[in-house]
Amino acid sequence: MKTPSEDHDLIRFLDGEMSNTERASFEARMAADSMLNSEVNMMQRMSADLRTHLPAEMPVPYADFFNSQIQVRIAQEVPVTLPAARSLWFDWLRIPTLATAAAAVAIGGFMIVQNQNQPAGNSIVHSIYVPNPSVQARSFHSDEAQAMVLILDGVEAMPSDRQMVSFHIQRTETDQEMATTTLFDVSGQVVAVVAKDSRNQPRLLSATPRG
Amino acid sequence: MPAFTAPESGEVSDSDLVKRCQAGDTHAFDALVNRYRGKVYAMTYHMIQNETEAWDLAQEAFIKAWRAMPNFKLDSAFYTWLYRITHNVTYDWLRKKKIQGDGEFDDSHTDHRVAAGAEAVARHEPAPDTALKNAELGARIREAIAKLSPEHKQVILLREVEGLAYEEIAEIIPCTLGTVMSRLFYARKKLQEMLKDTYENAF
Amino acid sequence: MKLAFILICLTAAVGFLKAQQPVVSPVESLSAVKPATDGKVWGALVYATNDIKGLSGSTEVAPADFADIPRRLGKVFPYQRFEILGQHLQDVFREYESWVVPTKDLFLKVDSKGPADGGGMNLHLQFWRDQQVLVKTDAVLKEGSPLFIGGPKWREGRLLFVLVLQNSR
Repeated sequence: MKTPSEDHDLIRFLDGEMSNTERASFEARMAADSMLNSEVNMMQRMSADLRTHLPAEMPVPYADFFNSQIQVRIAQEVPVTLPAARSLWFDWLRIPTLATAAAAVAIGGFMIVQNQNQPAGNSIVHSIYVPNPSVQARSFHSDEAQAMVLILDGVEAMPSDRQMVSFHIQRTETDQEMATTTLFDVSGQVVAVVAKDSRNQPRLLSATPRG
Repeated sequence: MPAFTAPESGEVSDSDLVKRCQAGDTHAFDALVNRYRGKVYAMTYHMIQNETEAWDLAQEAFIKAWRAMPNFKLDSAFYTWLYRITHNVTYDWLRKKKIQGDGEFDDSHTDHRVAAGAEAVARHEPAPDTALKNAELGARIREAIAKLSPEHKQVILLREVEGLAYEEIAEIIPCTLGTVMSRLFYARKKLQEMLKDTYENAF
Repeated sequence: MKLAFILICLTAAVGFLKAQQPVVSPVESLSAVKPATDGKVWGALVYATNDIKGLSGSTEVAPADFADIPRRLGKVFPYQRFEILGQHLQDVFREYESWVVPTKDLFLKVDSKGPADGGGMNLHLQFWRDQQVLVKTDAVLKEGSPLFIGGPKWREGRLLFVLVLQNSR
C-alpha cells in the first residue's frame, strides 16, 4: 500500500516540483517498476489533455456590457471623485443656454448622472462612459426641446472632404449564427452589413455609397 | 506554463493601475477588467459550467476586488490576489448550491454538454475521425471535471489550467502544501477512473 | 444583377471576417421566426450648420411622427439648418443587440434592458464611429422624449445623432 508521501512524489514529479536529485531517483524507480511507469505516463497524457480542453482564458459573452455593468455597480458604491485640476466642469453648468435640470460630466471615464426631480415622461441618461481620455461627455435635459441631450466634446472632427455615406434603412435581418445584420433600404436593396471581426468588434460594410 | 503574463513594454503595469484604482480611478479599473476578465471568466466557467452563472460570478469577483482594493498591499501579484477573490466567490456559490462530488450531479446538464460537443464538429463538414474523437474527449473531460467536488475541481483547474505552482495554489485556497498535493493526487486519480473508458476506446 | 453582385461582394467580405465559418449567403441563412422586440426606435444622423451653401443636398425627410425634430434640435444646438443625412427605423430586440445605422460613419448599438417603469425602454447604448466607440450610456428612452447626441464637428457645422422611441399606439 502506498504511503501519502509516495503519492506526493508522483504528483511532484508530474508537476516538475522535484529537485534534480529527487527526479533522477524517481526516474530510476520508474525504470524498475513498470506499473509505476505506466501510471505516470497515463497521468502525463491526461494532464496534457486537460490543458488542451480547458482553456485558461475564454472570451466573455457581451464583453462590453460586462465592463459597463461593473462600472455602474462600482460607481454606485463609491462616489467618483474627479481630480482637483478638472474642477472647471462646474463652470460649464453656468452656460445660460443649458437647462437647469440634471447635468453631469464624464471626462475620459465614467460618471453616474444624478437625475433629480425628473418628470416621469422624460428620457433619462443614468450613466455615461467615454473610453477616450481626451473626450468629454456632458448630459442634461432640455426643457425647451423636451429632450435629453448628450454632448461629446473633444471628439476629432470628421474630415471636410469626407462624404457621409448615408442610408434610409427600411428593415434589417439578423443572422444570429453568423452574428451579422443585413440592412435594406426603402427599395429593398442591401446597403450594408454589420459583421463582427475576430475581436468581436463591429465592422460596417457598405455596398453602394450614396450622398 | 507561466501563470502570469507580464505587461508588454509600453503597457501600464498592474501595480500602477492598482495604485490609480486606490486613488479612485475607475478608468484604471476598467483596464484591469479588460486585462483579466477572460481568465476570471474561464475560471468561474470551468468551476460551474454554466455560462450565465459564470458571467454573474465573474462580475461579482471584480466588484469584490474593487471593494477590497484599498486593502490590497501589493505584496503579491495582482492576479494572484484577484484569483483568490474569484476562487472564494465561486467556492461560496458552489457550497450554497451543494454541488457535491459523485451523488448530486445533474445528468441532464451533462448530456446537453456532450451533445453540444458532438454537434459542433458535425455541423460544418464531414469530420475526420480524430477531430470527432477530440471533441468527444473534450466533452468527457468537462463532464468528469464537473463531477469532482469543489475542492478537487479547484486544485485541478489552478494547476492544469492556470499552471500555478503548489505554493501559489496553497496561498489562494488557502491550505497547506500537503493538502494541495493530496487533493491533486486524489483529483487526478478520480479523473483517470472516470476517463478510463474514453481513453481505452478512443486511443 | 447588381443586387447579386453586391450580395457576392458582401458575402465574401463577411466570409473573410468570419474565416472559420462556411460562407453562406445572408439571405439564405435567415431565420423565419422573428425574435421578440420591445419597441421601435427611429435614429437619424443630422447635419447642423449655418452654412446654407454647405448643405449636402440630402433629400431625406423625417417621418410624420418625428417631423418636429429639427425644430427641437434648434432649441439645443446653435445652428440655423438641420439636414437629415440618413435615417433608420429599427425594432429593438429583447434578447439580441440591435443596430441603428443611418450612416456608415456614425451608428448606434442598442441593447434592450427591458421595459421601464411607467413606460419607455431601458437601454444600453453605444455610439460608434468607424471602429471606435465614442460613448457608452445606460439610459431610459420614453415616447415623446428624444435623445440628442452632439457628435463630431464636420465642415461648417456639427453632426448630431437623434434617437426617438416610436409611439406604441
